[in-house]
Amino acid sequence: MNNVKAKILIVDDSELNRALLSDMLAADFDILEAENGVEAMDILHEHELEISLMLLDIVMPVMDGFEVLSVMNQKEWIKSIPVIMISAETGGAYIDRAYDLGAIDYISRPFDERTVKHRVMSNFMLTIKQKEMSELLSSQIYEKEKDNSLMIEILSHIVEFRNGESGLHVLHVHAITQMLLERLVKKTNKYELSTKDIRLISNASALHDIGKISIPSEILNKPGRFTPDEYEIMKKHTVEGAKMLSDIPFRKNESLIRVGYQICRWHHERYDGKGYPDGLKGDDIPIAAQVVAMADVYDALTSERVYKPPYTPDVAIKMILNGECGAFSPLLLECLTDIAESLKTELNVMSFGHATDNVIHDTVKQMLKSDGADASNRSIQLLERERTKYQYLLDISREIVFEYNSVPEFIKLSELGAESLGIPMKIIEPANNKVWTRMFAKEDFEHFVAKIKETTPENPVLSEEYLLTINRDKKWCKVIAKAIWGDGELPEFEGAVGKIVDINEEFAAMQSLEQKADCDSRTGLFNHNAAKRRISAILSENKGKNKRYALTMFDLDNFKEANDVYGHIFGDEVLEELARRIKASTRSTDIAARMGGDEFILFMEYKDTVEPQIKRIFKNLTEPFKDFDVGVSMGVACVENYDGDYDTLFTMADAAMYTVKRDNKNSYRFYDDTMKSLLRSDE
Amino acid sequence: MTVKECYALIGADYDNVLSRLRTDERITKFLLKVADDKSFELLCESLKTKNMPEAFRAAHTIKGVCMNLSLTKLYASAERLTEALRGREEFGDDIPPLFEQLKADYESTVNGIRMLQ
Repeated sequence: MNNVKAKILIVDDSELNRALLSDMLAADFDILEAENGVEAMDILHEHELEISLMLLDIVMPVMDGFEVLSVMNQKEWIKSIPVIMISAETGGAYIDRAYDLGAIDYISRPFDERTVKHRVMSNFMLTIKQKEMSELLSSQIYEKEKDNSLMIEILSHIVEFRNGESGLHVLHVHAITQMLLERLVKKTNKYELSTKDIRLISNASALHDIGKISIPSEILNKPGRFTPDEYEIMKKHTVEGAKMLSDIPFRKNESLIRVGYQICRWHHERYDGKGYPDGLKGDDIPIAAQVVAMADVYDALTSERVYKPPYTPDVAIKMILNGECGAFSPLLLECLTDIAESLKTELNVMSFGHATDNVIHDTVKQMLKSDGADASNRSIQLLERERTKYQYLLDISREIVFEYNSVPEFIKLSELGAESLGIPMKIIEPANNKVWTRMFAKEDFEHFVAKIKETTPENPVLSEEYLLTINRDKKWCKVIAKAIWGDGELPEFEGAVGKIVDINEEFAAMQSLEQKADCDSRTGLFNHNAAKRRISAILSENKGKNKRYALTMFDLDNFKEANDVYGHIFGDEVLEELARRIKASTRSTDIAARMGGDEFILFMEYKDTVEPQIKRIFKNLTEPFKDFDVGVSMGVACVENYDGDYDTLFTMADAAMYTVKRDNKNSYRFYDDTMKSLLRSDE
Repeated sequence: MTVKECYALIGADYDNVLSRLRTDERITKFLLKVADDKSFELLCESLKTKNMPEAFRAAHTIKGVCMNLSLTKLYASAERLTEALRGREEFGDDIPPLFEQLKADYESTVNGIRMLQ
């Protein structure tokens, strides 16, 4: 052991008990203290990898010792952190329950210094030994797996180099096979594939073309089309490869050989039964061969060959889905579509050494996981370093950065974030915490949590906008977060990281821009488009309801004269005056717009009759302005229980206005059926 | 006054505590902490407001502390109250006498400890 003392976490609600234990152990260990379960969870969350042992009381407020053990089981911390229970409770049931939940030892009160020291030390040493053993084991497995993969790769590359290919094909097929299988087991358990099976099939995929070694190289590397005879010879690589494997003496029962045989022989079969060499159909073709066949086709399409350029991933997938290259089970086609995006990035970053190494690391990781051993020291150090970096970036970041943890539920804010929100850095059970819900309304926060849980490991990012109350001000904020999913076969939601961005100014600017875009700059009334949008919305919302509307359209009879005689500035003044009169004689629920030039429209809902209103408006509008006599031609279309659209209503008002203009001007008229012949449509 | 004399005065088991905690110095350090511990106040408060789970935890804590320091007499009354409160939801007539006993023992114990200062 080096100079740095190992850390021990003491969880007890009595300060005196913690002090007593700490006093006994401080000479040999670094002590962290927590006074209840939730605090302990928080410390574990942050220092999980540094804590060598935990002393845990049972009876505590907020979250008791048994609950702590349950969560540690859920998070699998119990596998790496030995827990010794401490309590005055000596009842057998208590002890049994603690042991069942994974506690490794039990110290009862009153504490005896020798007992405490001895128990802690021996359990600590035991764990250290166990860790050393598992590291030893993991490096041995690593070496063995490395040799294995290396042998398979050398073998497969010999085939590829002879084939004039880069050798990346084997790696690609390996990766695609693995991704397809991982997707497949999420969709169905029909094939009963374990993690071990997936690894085996992915490894064996490298052997799919070994039979090509027996094909003459003139045929193998022929740039043009094969003659029928040549094609027959080429097809033999399936049977030849399988034979090479089955001829290996004494090894027929090795699972690698068995799966390799299936892949070699049947990776050119088709789901519809029209493949070779045996014409197997549907799920008579072993799943290993089906998957490798698909991986082989996808990589062949997306790679350059002597006889063809590379297709883009999207085109390749389309071709496969259309059945242009082979025939596959519908389920596998779904899997391929699902992983299409990740395939692009995954295959792009692939190069030789790195890919192999990744594969081996994954393998070792998986093996260790299934054997229940711990992560190696090396990865712990890496994690530590990453966390230090993360913490530093968080400290200097001006943004409100948060971490959401699902079980136990809490929110952790960056220091500056907490400061600018005016709330503490740690919020336990945020949905029920008043400090938090005052800032982030409970239903909004629950909406956010529901949304983030709906994300998937493939697509974990969420961006939502909420009206938050920050230091008593209501502000629109964008909450951007990435969900954290576990990396098991069925990933579980663990929490999220994200940031809160104040978009209030942005939002206000957008609103004012929207308003500007909707308004006519001369008069401040709506422009025609904006009015049409609003009126159409009202019409379609109230379809079938017994409502009455009037659409009024009018223009100035002598606007040209105003411009010609008094000048354009006066003309503008007339328009502005008219807008003022319109605003003064309508209600806020009415919609008034300038369509352009001297044409205006007015839309209103009315109860019994609209004529008095129209009369009053007409009178207001036609008051003289300065020396100018204002004359207006006005057409009104009234509808009741209307189920037509805006444009129809518009042409009716237009026809009524046209009638006024044709007859005597400076008057108003309501649309009636006699004007039907005047209806003109814009088209 | 020596620690041993103090233990005799407050009805506690000096030999036992010494065998476990090893030195007078350490025993004194933690005895003084007992005098400052807030669990007793918490117990009084919880019983007043009839917060039974909280009262149980406070009594339980006092019991644990006494056990660690071999404060035999106070331990006995703390244990009786703790057991009476275990799993209880309602306040009852059996509790006040047990509490009074604990209170008397607690006060004499703390007074004894204060004489060490």
